[in-house]
Amino acid sequence: MRKIAIYGKGGIGKSTTTQNTVAGLAEWGKKVMVVGCDPKADSTRLLLGGLAQKTVLDTLRDEGEDVELDEILKPGYAKTACVESGGPEPGVGCAGRGIITSINMLEQLGAYTPDLDYTFYDVLGDVVCGGFAMPIRDGKAEEIYIVVSGEMMAMYAANNICKGIVKFAQSGKVRLGGLICNSRKCDNEKELIEALAAKLGTQMIHFVPRDNVVQHAELNRKTVIEYAPTAAQADEYRTLARKIDANKMFVIPTPLTMEDLEELLVKYGLAA
Amino acid sequence: MDLLDDRKRQVVTAGEARAVVCDRPSVAGSVTQRACSFCGSRVVLYPIADALHLVHGPVGCAAYTWDIRGAQSSGPQLHRLSFNTDIREEEVIFGGEKKLARALRELVAIHRPKGAFVYATCLTGVIGDDVEAVCRMATAELGIPVIPVQSEGFKGTKKDGYSAACRALDQLIGTGPTEGIGPHSVNILGDFNIAGEIWVIKGYLERMGVEVVATMTGDGRMDTIRKAHGARLNIVQCAGSMTSVAKLMKEKYGIPYVQVSFFGLEDCADALYQVAKHFGDPGMLRRTKDIVKAETEAVLPELARIRRDLEGKKAALYVGGAFKAFSLVKALRQIGMQVAMAGTQTGGPADYEHLKELCDADTILADDSNPLEMASWLALRDVDLFIGGVKERPVAFKLGIGFCDHNHERKIGLAGFEGCAAFAREVHATVTSPVWSLVPRRAGKALS
Repeated sequence: MRKIAIYGKGGIGKSTTTQNTVAGLAEWGKKVMVVGCDPKADSTRLLLGGLAQKTVLDTLRDEGEDVELDEILKPGYAKTACVESGGPEPGVGCAGRGIITSINMLEQLGAYTPDLDYTFYDVLGDVVCGGFAMPIRDGKAEEIYIVVSGEMMAMYAANNICKGIVKFAQSGKVRLGGLICNSRKCDNEKELIEALAAKLGTQMIHFVPRDNVVQHAELNRKTVIEYAPTAAQADEYRTLARKIDANKMFVIPTPLTMEDLEELLVKYGLAA
Repeated sequence: MDLLDDRKRQVVTAGEARAVVCDRPSVAGSVTQRACSFCGSRVVLYPIADALHLVHGPVGCAAYTWDIRGAQSSGPQLHRLSFNTDIREEEVIFGGEKKLARALRELVAIHRPKGAFVYATCLTGVIGDDVEAVCRMATAELGIPVIPVQSEGFKGTKKDGYSAACRALDQLIGTGPTEGIGPHSVNILGDFNIAGEIWVIKGYLERMGVEVVATMTGDGRMDTIRKAHGARLNIVQCAGSMTSVAKLMKEKYGIPYVQVSFFGLEDCADALYQVAKHFGDPGMLRRTKDIVKAETEAVLPELARIRRDLEGKKAALYVGGAFKAFSLVKALRQIGMQVAMAGTQTGGPADYEHLKELCDADTILADDSNPLEMASWLALRDVDLFIGGVKERPVAFKLGIGFCDHNHERKIGLAGFEGCAAFAREVHATVTSPVWSLVPRRAGKALS
């Protein structure tokens, strides 16, 4: 089983990209589980056709320790298995601990079955504390893809996440599989992200162009692959899915200094 | 002896010129005798008898903090219970504020306390529970003062916990009526009424003609603490825990304070004289002299008898505050004993200078300290007695040395003139016990 975690700046399109990629793999016949690691619990909405999922932590809270796997594991598009960790309301408690508890729970309940080809962890925003690094601790996700765009703060977040990966790579098996550019139509975006990837010692595994059909699909609570299977954008996600499936480039990244990062942005961003 | 490099500057012999380095955090790995901030706050506020004491954290934080201390109450006994929000994984994730609010509501309905203290612990500090906001809402809803104590254990040592407790008391003081409080009035700060000691002290003061307004916190009550700002003088006994309240009250309400100790004949007499001199009333001064004379004469013959048996014996002591250390050195000298080692948890630079003057040139003085250091000093100086608290007891007993508890867990009052006699009797009984001659170390046998 391939174990993959998707990180990236908040609002960059992690959940959308993850679910569309998963749909691409599932449509192709792969058996995939998606574990949402965001207290908002919106990582599986497109696969399930809405926020139909009771989270692991809510279930744990309501039912105590006697949780059954089928209460928290819902079947989604093309036989995908969907789980949401859930977590506290904004501003209270410790969401990081929630993720740790939830993933431990999934392991105890035997959610990681041998017939799975892939598990995807969709993790919120930045790696703000130990809990949000839970999916990349030893024995969990082994490949990481970072969703990024040509915007400064997205690149800054990606670089920061790489620092976290370095830490965990040194004590475990986790490696960076590449950057996924989710285009914001910035100047020279493709070249910029390719240059960033090169500096980090990785690759830009795919450039996902911006297309309004993604919005339409989201409003209909569907992935693009399900909503508009013949659209060009659906093929972009299928391509990304194939590239991930074929990927052999797994590295320990080499994060940039803030100065290097700004220099990169000036060189490509303002060169246009 | 071998000391950790980081500890070397905190240990001197009294005859040395260099000062004891103190007022610094404990060295990690030295296994300090000092407890955590939460523990410091808890012990200072514990004796307030009509308050609800609610520990907001895992149940383990509440385990060692109920009814093991000898702090007595002349009325309500609510302080002897310990309440806890039992924070577990679920609250860690989702936050513990709601559970805290629920616990307060439930407990106030059952126990009808005059007020409540809510102690923040490490865990609730890390997850960021807004204890202050919950307390503010509970105060409005429940109609009693609900005071947050910001005592997260990781914030520092016991001394930082004392400060958190003092800030909590500061929120209460000044909120009650002061009508009817006379000119010769005091608050007693830093006595915890162990085995009823504050009643002994109060007895002397009342015989002198001094009115005691509030006792903090021994036999303490919410309402008297609220009107403590009406008193004209603060008497501070435990310097480590309560000096900051005294300083705050001086700033805010212009109330002067004296630092005293009621342990030992000399210090006890001095304490009463300081109070009498402050008020400058000739009648009070005369009454004080009479009290000191009568009380001293009542115990001196017994002390003299005890001294004959103890002359030349050696003691070591390790206590919380420096004022108790001063008193103990003098009290031990009174019964013929030398002090081979003296240490404190919270002494300041001036305290250690004073301790150097009081002690013999070869007395070991230590700030902070830990079991290994103390064990080596006790054995090196071959002492007959170790005086400390619950955490020092096993150090003495493992070495086969007599021990005298002079901390909050004891059940025998040691303050005041009559307390001097009780102290001497306890020391005598321990030091002259034949059991110590059977200890292998003393009997010339190798320790296995």
